[in-house]
Amino acid sequence: MVTADKSPRTNDLPTIPDKRDVDDLTQEFIAESQDGLDRMERCLTELEARPHDSQQLVGEIFRAVHTIKGTTGFLGFNRLEKLAHAGEHLLGSLREGRLAVTEELISGLLRLLDGLRAILALIEETGGEGTRASDEDSVLITDLARLNGDDLETARPSAPVISTKVAEEADPAMSPAEAMTPAAATQGTGSSNGDKTLRIDVEVLNRMMNLVGELVLTRNQMLQSGVEATNFPELARRLDSVTADLRETVMQARMQPVGNLFGKFPRMVRDLARTCGRDVRIEFSGQETGLDKSLLEAIKDPLTHAVRNSVDHGIESPADRVLAGKPAEGCLRLRAFHQSGSVVIEVADDGAGIAIERVLAKAIERGLVTTEQAKEMTEREALQLIFLPGFSTAAAVTTVSGRGVGMDVVRANVEKVGGSVELESKVGFGTTLRLRVPLTLAIVPALVVRSGGQSFALPQTTLVELVYIPARDKEKVVERVGASEVYRLRERLLPMVWLDRLLGLKSAAEAHGFYMAVLEAEGCRYGLVVEDLLAPEEIVVKPLSAVLREIGLFSGATVLGNGTLALILDIAATAARAGVKPVMEEEEQIVEIQREEASFLVFEDRARERTALPLGVVERIESVPINRVEYANGRALLQYRGELLQLRDDGHVLDGMEMLEDENASVTILICGDPETKAARMGIVVRRVLDVSDGTVLEKDTTNGEMDLALVKDRLTTIFRGFAGEVGKNWREVA
Amino acid sequence: MKAVAQSPEQMQEEAESASLCSMFAGEETFGIDTAKIREVLGRRELERVPMAPAFVAGVVPYRGDVLTTVSFRALLGLPENADVGCVLVLDDDGGHERFGLVIDAVGGVVTVQRNMLEANPCTLDAKCKWLFDGAYKMENGLLIQLDPQKLRPSRLAETGMFRQGGAGEGL
Repeated sequence: MVTADKSPRTNDLPTIPDKRDVDDLTQEFIAESQDGLDRMERCLTELEARPHDSQQLVGEIFRAVHTIKGTTGFLGFNRLEKLAHAGEHLLGSLREGRLAVTEELISGLLRLLDGLRAILALIEETGGEGTRASDEDSVLITDLARLNGDDLETARPSAPVISTKVAEEADPAMSPAEAMTPAAATQGTGSSNGDKTLRIDVEVLNRMMNLVGELVLTRNQMLQSGVEATNFPELARRLDSVTADLRETVMQARMQPVGNLFGKFPRMVRDLARTCGRDVRIEFSGQETGLDKSLLEAIKDPLTHAVRNSVDHGIESPADRVLAGKPAEGCLRLRAFHQSGSVVIEVADDGAGIAIERVLAKAIERGLVTTEQAKEMTEREALQLIFLPGFSTAAAVTTVSGRGVGMDVVRANVEKVGGSVELESKVGFGTTLRLRVPLTLAIVPALVVRSGGQSFALPQTTLVELVYIPARDKEKVVERVGASEVYRLRERLLPMVWLDRLLGLKSAAEAHGFYMAVLEAEGCRYGLVVEDLLAPEEIVVKPLSAVLREIGLFSGATVLGNGTLALILDIAATAARAGVKPVMEEEEQIVEIQREEASFLVFEDRARERTALPLGVVERIESVPINRVEYANGRALLQYRGELLQLRDDGHVLDGMEMLEDENASVTILICGDPETKAARMGIVVRRVLDVSDGTVLEKDTTNGEMDLALVKDRLTTIFRGFAGEVGKNWREVA
Repeated sequence: MKAVAQSPEQMQEEAESASLCSMFAGEETFGIDTAKIREVLGRRELERVPMAPAFVAGVVPYRGDVLTTVSFRALLGLPENADVGCVLVLDDDGGHERFGLVIDAVGGVVTVQRNMLEANPCTLDAKCKWLFDGAYKMENGLLIQLDPQKLRPSRLAETGMFRQGGAGEGL
């Protein structure tokens, strides 16, 4: 049976059963050919880079075209066969070494590739190869023939040179349009096709089947034994493990290597580089990194955009590069790797980097920030401006990029799948864009909250922090600006959104207080007020029906552990509904400051002097009975976890304790270790630990007598000296 | 409900007869072709969906999916009644859109003669004309036939007639 969607061929209704058979064959042929052409594309770009060891690459390209030619003849696609034949002929000459690999030749072959792809796309769409574009074919075929024969026979007299020139002139003019349209067309069909089908290892499929079998067996046993049976806990455990295994296997089946996505870029970069007059080399790493298929599709466009940006805006023209003292050839690096439960895809170029002044000037021009704001911005903040809608720094609008739709779309797309985007840039050294995406979409960590008597799930990725507001403090902390309510969060006003009011739910009677979840999505930051927090859960996302999707506030639903349903709130859409506008990210600045400052552990030794140690070196604070401190050669030592620790007692705390002669007394010892070497552990005996706090190290100068001082909570504190490097020395003396 | 008046001749004309599942909402009795009913779930806890059209009763988990349910009472413009409620799972022919229907209670299977179907009276208001497919005259009153196709949430949303809800409904 043919579905209604395939109606374009209504005229041959009577032959539907036959047509279906052919369809299967054709489908298979298309999939196979596309694989072949993808391979050919890779080989061609590689061939251009390394024209000397061409044997194997040419062989591979030849095989791809040859297979298409052979199969088309069999399936009766004459147009495709003719084109493939012309290509095969040319490749044959190349393989026999009668032709040299030139840029022109590669361009010709790439056009052949596009031609073949266009016909394949047409076949996939309509079921026929069409005849209307046969003129284009013949132009291409004569082109290929010229590349093959004429140059060789006439040994380059003047006429072919002219024709070559013409071709070259015509080429750049054509190539942007040409390179874009067929590539876009094939990309489009590729994704539509790719969405529906998935190649899967039979091994994985077998494992899944086994697990399903196991699941059925366990169910049968459970049904037979009942809840009261003694082996019920065991069965439940088995069910649990089978489910976990099955989940993992299915996940694995959905994983696709990122290399599949990367494979498209060499060609794209080549075309772009030629259009923009750049010289670009592309490097990959981590192609085998697996990513969920749906995510791979989702990041395809953002990644393509990022690569385009890098070639067009990032990497300078060869002349500029040489002037800047860099190799003429720019380098674009695509890297994929796992990092803490997510996959990071990095697009790095060694281009000009992003000039902050230009970004700021543009932002002011576009009215995104005021001049005053711009002056106060840090570099990091300024870079974030690039992600605002309607921002593009390209001096001129080119065909490739700079149409004002840019990084904001990249960010929105990546955030839609629960990922995030980071940008790093150094003027003169290049730009790195990092797309961070979760491993899978199907299962997301979420926080379940209650509002208006209903449960809602908030994706953890959007959650910044939680604030509890007791009922008695409500009047005090919730302030009003006009009609809207705001909360002072670390001296910044945060718009508050009451979830129950927004959704038109009946709000519950005033309880002990309420919670505010500080959320952030697509640059919007706001506090969502809910009645109660339930447990954080890993939720399985289920799609909603079209009618409910239309509401636009929920991205799905999930069944909670207790069997009830909860709607998953779309954080960005909720912000938009509540009228929250994207704001400038200033959080980064705070982080920055914290980094400059250091955290200290403040303690007191006998001299009642506030002394501080950088928190990083303190491993543990131990309370040790005084009789466990032993002495050797006049030095205090402690046996600690099978290690002999040297104790430092600058404040003579131990001496004081000895004088008390209390056997049961204990002493506080800070176990310190150098995080770098780990070898030099030591104990510091202190009177008591006072605080852990942030402080600023004061610069040494004559006013403070060259002492190491820090301001911790606005009080002067001496920094404990003689740790780090000196420890090792002391220890060696003892040994 | 027991099957009503089946004579041997009628049995032979299987094609002419249809089996309907009878159900109740408010004061009236309705029937849906049994072939279109996938499962009768009975009473279920429904999770309401804020901001949804008025005819959506809520969502309910069903075999690994989240099922959108249509409140038949809301469609008829009857006030909500928390005491009654039974969820039916309906499949349309193509299986494109599976959805739930919440009615007061389910009766049983009745076999009716297709040619006994009486068209909607011309005085019926537009909403009911859309919902009802005509009525069968039964011994103990009328049985109004419903077409599950027309009860699909997306179809209901398209018509725009039920967005605002009936007399007693509304958020």
